[in-house]
Amino acid sequence: MSEKKHRVSRRQFLNYTLTGVGGFMAAGILSPMVRFALDPILKEETGQDMVAVAQVKDITTEPQRFDFKVKVKDAWYESEEPRSAWVFKDENGDIVALSPICTHLGCTVNWNGDKNNPNRFFCPCHYGLYEKDGTNVPNTPPTSPLHRYEYEIKDGTLYLGKAKPRGEA
Amino acid sequence: MLNKIYNWIDERLDITPLWRDIADHEVPEHVNPAHHFSAFVYCFGGLTFFVTVIQILSGMFLTMYYVPDIKNAWESVYYLQNEVAFGQIVRGMHHWGASLVIVMMFLHTLRVFFQGAYKKPRELNWIVGVLIFMVMMGLGFTGYLLPWDMKALFATKVGLQIAEATPIIGPAIKTLLAGHPEIVGAQTLTRFFAIHVFFLPAALLGLMAAHFLMIRKQGISGPL
Amino acid sequence: MHRGKGMKFVGDSRVPAVRKPNIPKDYSEYPGKTEAFWPNFLLKEWMVGAVFLIGFLSLTVAHPSPLERVADPTDTSYIPLPDWYFLFLYQLLKYSFASGPYTVIGAIVIPGLAFGALLLAPFLDRGPERRPSKRPVAVGMMLLTLAAIVFLTWESVVTHDWEAAAEQGKIRAEVEIDTNAEGYKILEANTCLTCHGENLQGGPAAPSLVGTGLSPEEVANIAKNGVGSMPGGLFQGTDEELQKLAEFVAGLDAE
Repeated sequence: MSEKKHRVSRRQFLNYTLTGVGGFMAAGILSPMVRFALDPILKEETGQDMVAVAQVKDITTEPQRFDFKVKVKDAWYESEEPRSAWVFKDENGDIVALSPICTHLGCTVNWNGDKNNPNRFFCPCHYGLYEKDGTNVPNTPPTSPLHRYEYEIKDGTLYLGKAKPRGEA
Repeated sequence: MLNKIYNWIDERLDITPLWRDIADHEVPEHVNPAHHFSAFVYCFGGLTFFVTVIQILSGMFLTMYYVPDIKNAWESVYYLQNEVAFGQIVRGMHHWGASLVIVMMFLHTLRVFFQGAYKKPRELNWIVGVLIFMVMMGLGFTGYLLPWDMKALFATKVGLQIAEATPIIGPAIKTLLAGHPEIVGAQTLTRFFAIHVFFLPAALLGLMAAHFLMIRKQGISGPL
Repeated sequence: MHRGKGMKFVGDSRVPAVRKPNIPKDYSEYPGKTEAFWPNFLLKEWMVGAVFLIGFLSLTVAHPSPLERVADPTDTSYIPLPDWYFLFLYQLLKYSFASGPYTVIGAIVIPGLAFGALLLAPFLDRGPERRPSKRPVAVGMMLLTLAAIVFLTWESVVTHDWEAAAEQGKIRAEVEIDTNAEGYKILEANTCLTCHGENLQGGPAAPSLVGTGLSPEEVANIAKNGVGSMPGGLFQGTDEELQKLAEFVAGLDAE
């Protein structure tokens, strides 16, 4: 190849400049808009306040269902959403608060909900089963244990936060 | 690789003539400000189109957050402007762009008028252009209400009263626009939203397509 | 170009199988000086666009778009103002020949004639001449209209009280006002509310009394002697009442 062939022709130069200017305009217009649209995934997750749920003295080794409400802020819309938790004390006397949401497809599980499976959590939708500590029973639809609420105890009252997968809470 | 994909498509659809036709059509040199600086007056039409593109894009993105409802409209605008990243810029583009598009279109109209560029054979394109002007004014008027703040509501009330002054059909026009004979409220907002986001833009796109096709067909008017 | 019999197509489609070489046209065939749309013409057009865009983005960064408080249809004291490009029409409707019984003239006839003439300009101005100097009627009419629009917009801008407009539209912190408080009753008795509003939210003629940041002494002084456009001597009560009023107003804080 000769030297001449490597030289940029006038037309090519104009083409490059044109695409450059066009790219600049497209970026200038679109980047604010794309960032605007992506905001929900880039927004920092806001921590959830701990909510008083029950008195510690009421908690037994048998799971009991406690209902409570959390404040939810959805952009400009604020509301209170009902939540519930299965709360009990394990062998060591530690409090366990399980989310009743089945990890299979999101139905609500019940303690002793199935007569054939006593002392287990039962999901009526697809017959999912969990042990008392929330571990999913093998060969039933759920593939992971029930989520556990973060909790703290202040002055004999149990406060619950967010439900997180086992191991994180 | 890209070349191969292009050739594969081109063999089947013969797309080269399509873009060649756009890329290679010749433009008279007297409209290029690089040759005669006074030719910058020919840029106003292009800038109007440019701002219109910005308006369409920013409007599309704004509807990701905006709610056309009297209880939520203001809250959602306040939220998207103050809480969402770059919300001020995106809303700013739509807000200031609305003014700029009017300015640019006005200057473009004056350029065409004073150069007498609407004369035979370009009469039809001038009419389409004036219709675009009216559609843009309509977009400005309907868009002004959408944030549902004080000036939006009261300016719209005045605007609707002006429409009501039309002889005979005035009250009917007002009710049709406002959705209610007396109240400027929930139904007005949803109507204005629909007009602003679907009806007028559809008309605008059709008119602009006609405008550009006619320019291509007839070419830009010669120098004075 | 190959035509008629013997043309080859891709499959059974109507796409010709013989490719034309992908080279730009030769512009020497056209009369007059011309250049290619892409890239020559478009490059200049886009450079103008890029400069415009920079200015435009700077504007959006420097000036947040205005947002007034949420629409309140019950607030009858609000003075409306349309967007600036409708101001000339708004101003036109203020004149006596275009308002009252003649509203139809200002609202429909004049704008209708103007837009109708604009729409039909090619048929009203039919001569072959294009130079402005050769068609004085059309150009004169347009210049007159332009002057009228500029004048009306200008009049509208200078006669509008922009400070009051900014004040009446401000987003105000919402405060629950205890209308049973003694201080509120005193405000009511001294006609403060007629200007400052029943929720002390302010109005076109007076600012909000909520979150003024003033001390009770300053409030008492203003109530007695006035400030700005507020005349003195409006307060008619006793010193004790004045004290209560001042403490009440100074205690109104935006949450």
